[in-house]
Amino acid sequence: MNSARFPSETDVVVTRVTDNQWQAVANDRVVADGDATTRPDGRVFLSIDSWHEEVFDLLATRMLADLPSPLYTVVDEADGDLTARWQRAGFTIRRREWEYLLPTAAAVSSPPGGVTILAAGESEEHLLRELDGVIRAEVEATVGWQQMPAEILPRPAIHPSKYAVATSSGRYVGLVRVAAATRQPRIGLIAVKAEHQRRGIARALLGHVLDSLRRSGIESAWVEVNESNDAAIALFDGAGAQRVSSNIELVRH
Amino acid sequence: MARRSGGIEIEGIVLECLRNASFTVELENGHKVLAHISGKIRKNYIKILPYDRVLVELSPYDLTRGRILFRYRN
Repeated sequence: MNSARFPSETDVVVTRVTDNQWQAVANDRVVADGDATTRPDGRVFLSIDSWHEEVFDLLATRMLADLPSPLYTVVDEADGDLTARWQRAGFTIRRREWEYLLPTAAAVSSPPGGVTILAAGESEEHLLRELDGVIRAEVEATVGWQQMPAEILPRPAIHPSKYAVATSSGRYVGLVRVAAATRQPRIGLIAVKAEHQRRGIARALLGHVLDSLRRSGIESAWVEVNESNDAAIALFDGAGAQRVSSNIELVRH
Repeated sequence: MARRSGGIEIEGIVLECLRNASFTVELENGHKVLAHISGKIRKNYIKILPYDRVLVELSPYDLTRGRILFRYRN
């Protein structure tokens, strides 16, 4: 059902309305919105909502002229039209995140000898913060947090109620964070200190969390993984995860 | 100052997640629309699932299509 005519390009006026917002107006009607968001790591991510390709292009041209490079955006890979629009604006694919659905019925893996799993709410906050700090530094020194889906949003508060922790000889060596389980819960972060990796600790942490969710009546959880993170992909594949979709991050230098 | 788009905004319930990054939403007036998610929802990794209550802006050019602007906390 058509209820309004498409504007011609000559009808459209693009205006930067605030530092991080743009609008395209035609015939006194807002026909597209653009937004720039600065993430905690300083990178600027763009989004444009437009009903027309031509207006999307006009808005993108203006935003790219107004903002310093590099600029980023993220799209669902299944949305081919939107991906093509950004590529037409000069963006290229930088990385891909797989989205997995994890059945909570997966078998629980026992922790390796000498390792104990502390359930959510059982860890000590200062030791948890110390472990989080060590793991963050290790990741930053290797692949970098910009490659990690978990880190692109503002850092969540570190609170023992949100983390299960693996301990070895009384020391905290690994953690897993799960978002509130009111809907489909999300595995936000799972990590083990470098010197304790390849012992099955992450598998035990994941099994512990999935088992807890299952006993709460929850059938599945979801998680995002960078496509180059072979260890994480092997971990989730081993837990019976199903790859359901993917997001791609694009950049324009 | 930013203006509101002026498009029709209406609440609905997500019925189905489709393969092409879109959703079938049943509006509170009983109509069903095909909706994509807004850029801000996508950037913030807000997950849209069946039975979610959402705010949809209808396309002024095709009232069978829409854009999900907001997901309510059920």
